[in-house]
Amino acid sequence: MGKRSSKWITGVCFAALSVSLAGCGDDNSEESGGGDSGELSGEVTLWTASLAGEPFDTYFADLEAEFEEMHPDLDVKIEDIPQNEMEQKVLTSLTGDDVPDVVNLNPHYMSNIAAQGGLLGLNDLVSDETKSSYVEGPFNSGMYEDELYALPWYLTTTVSWYNSEHFDEAGVSELPTDTQGIYDTAKAVTEATGKPSYYPVINDGNTVMEKMVSLADGEPIVENGKAVFEDNEAIVEFFELTQKMYEEGLIPQETAEGSLATGQELYMAGNTSFLEGGVTFLGPIESGSPDVYEASKAGQPLESNEAPVNVAVMNFAIPAKTQNEDAAVALAEFLTNAENQLEFAKTAGTVLPATTESLEDDYFQNPGDSPKALGMLQASESLSRAEVLIPPTENSSDLRESTKNIFVQNLQGSLTPEEAVKQLAEEWNRAFEDSGEEVTF
Amino acid sequence: MKSKKRSQLIWLYALLLFITVITVGPFFITLLISLKSANEGIYTVLFPTDPTLANFIDSFAKADFGLYFLNTVIVTGIAIPLNLIFCSLAAYPLARMDFRGRSVVLALIISTMMVPFQLYMAPLFQLAGELGLRNSHIGLVVMQVSTAFGIYLMRQAFLRIPKELEESAYLDGASKFKVWYLVAIPLVKPTLVTLAIFTFMGTWGDYLWPLLNSTESSMYTLSIGLAQLSQNFDGANLKLISAASILTTIPTLLIFIWLQKYFISGATDGAVKG
Repeated sequence: MGKRSSKWITGVCFAALSVSLAGCGDDNSEESGGGDSGELSGEVTLWTASLAGEPFDTYFADLEAEFEEMHPDLDVKIEDIPQNEMEQKVLTSLTGDDVPDVVNLNPHYMSNIAAQGGLLGLNDLVSDETKSSYVEGPFNSGMYEDELYALPWYLTTTVSWYNSEHFDEAGVSELPTDTQGIYDTAKAVTEATGKPSYYPVINDGNTVMEKMVSLADGEPIVENGKAVFEDNEAIVEFFELTQKMYEEGLIPQETAEGSLATGQELYMAGNTSFLEGGVTFLGPIESGSPDVYEASKAGQPLESNEAPVNVAVMNFAIPAKTQNEDAAVALAEFLTNAENQLEFAKTAGTVLPATTESLEDDYFQNPGDSPKALGMLQASESLSRAEVLIPPTENSSDLRESTKNIFVQNLQGSLTPEEAVKQLAEEWNRAFEDSGEEVTF
Repeated sequence: MKSKKRSQLIWLYALLLFITVITVGPFFITLLISLKSANEGIYTVLFPTDPTLANFIDSFAKADFGLYFLNTVIVTGIAIPLNLIFCSLAAYPLARMDFRGRSVVLALIISTMMVPFQLYMAPLFQLAGELGLRNSHIGLVVMQVSTAFGIYLMRQAFLRIPKELEESAYLDGASKFKVWYLVAIPLVKPTLVTLAIFTFMGTWGDYLWPLLNSTESSMYTLSIGLAQLSQNFDGANLKLISAASILTTIPTLLIFIWLQKYFISGATDGAVKG
């Protein structure tokens, strides 16, 4: 027994040492650069966000092959990272030498990493012709403090989704275009189905902030770092009526948690009937509840047809410590050119491209008649009034947190709507005073 | 008197049944969801009307689960023996040898349990890179090899061994190392099994460090595969996630059931003597 133990321990120690030494011998640092001839060479690494599996594997394999054919001395590596951890992973990688060359970020992650000096400024590295090829709103989402840090890739805008069977049951034929309309619709649908019908998505407070900007319909809600929405009738009405709907059971109690995922679960279980969300909202519904998916229809966001709507952008940025700057810029431009964006939008089936040329394609006028395609059609119709409604700010987490807390307290009746709006304005003013930012949105 | 006993028994069984439903229920529902076919709704009926294993096959294909499973098995296979060896080696002197600063060393080791991972992940990332441990199986287990918890657990177990047994071995001429592996180690077997199970669970489900240390997806583990499924571009497919969760959990369950006898006796070791 003793001898056996001894051999076992020695064996494990030897194995561990061997693997460690093998690891030490693994040299990942590869020379890269533009080369003497100006031709791109070396290695360029791209990190995508939550795009693993088909159909994206094939899409990226084709792109990789095409780009490597254009630049025979270049080796492209593509890895996929779960979206929620992308910011943390990029920031951690910047502390070492294993830095990717191109990363897929949302504007929030981008501005945070750029604020810490982690991204390469692209103002002088990208040509004016390329810059002008993108749709203006999404392009501007790549700006931070007058410097371009990212090129826009794909977009989704807010649309509304509803269960047409529930609406038919209630005899409702049109989607509401203001908060009073939402109340009337929710009341009629709830009376017909016996279940709460309207789910206002809160997430971490960002969607409420975006809703407030949409409701203000062009009027700023923050002017030079000061909240100016206290007297905005549409916003006060939104707080009043959401509280009333919650009290009357037209809004489900789960709204206090407020995530889109909860909304999706309620919607697919038939426990809520309409809400606003992105074009990709129906993904889990299609697999989780095929009947509800078939009954789903899309419409414009639940406010006036001229009100600005939010656009969610995914973009490509280049970490400041890239070892292959020229190749990284070339790859980011290649990925976001009109042709490749159009192909990506067709592959994904639920997103819009960010270049004006690809948006003119017939595909976006006639995407088909599936519920998802109807959503994309609505999104492309509202793109002309779509913009990033909340600009990235240093205090954005404070703004979002206070918005969520106060909105939920308002829903639950702990505050009167007037108190809630007033308190929210005070919290925002405090956050802007602390950060010293003088933004307007 | 008899009827009182019977009523107590009924209440006891009712309570046990309730606890069983609470603990096993979610796992059972996850299993049912994973067996539902593509055309079936998750919430329409509890039991699948047309049970299928397609979700298990699809989840394997969707997130390269075969490769991730292999990686997870390899890193777990490396982490368990290394953690057992290093923790036992570190714990034995803390329990049995008198040297200056022993209590300080122990306090320092235990205090590392209070430091959140986020605080040292960047230096650890750099260090792993410098040591050439990036994208290697051994690099994925640095968090699980020689844990403070393991050292403390083993120390408590060594403290319970009667000193006389070791002293008689010394009288027979055994060295300190021989006493450690011939006398002490066999006597703390239940605690070793407990630590093995804890290490298994920690390594099997570890997420953030394997993700940070892997810049190549070929080194991903099962937990990262699960995250890829749940954070999918097109939204989470609950049937696939349920199937993948079941596949991920089964090995943990099997190991626990196999070793539960040792686990329970070992887990209480720390509580007996401080």
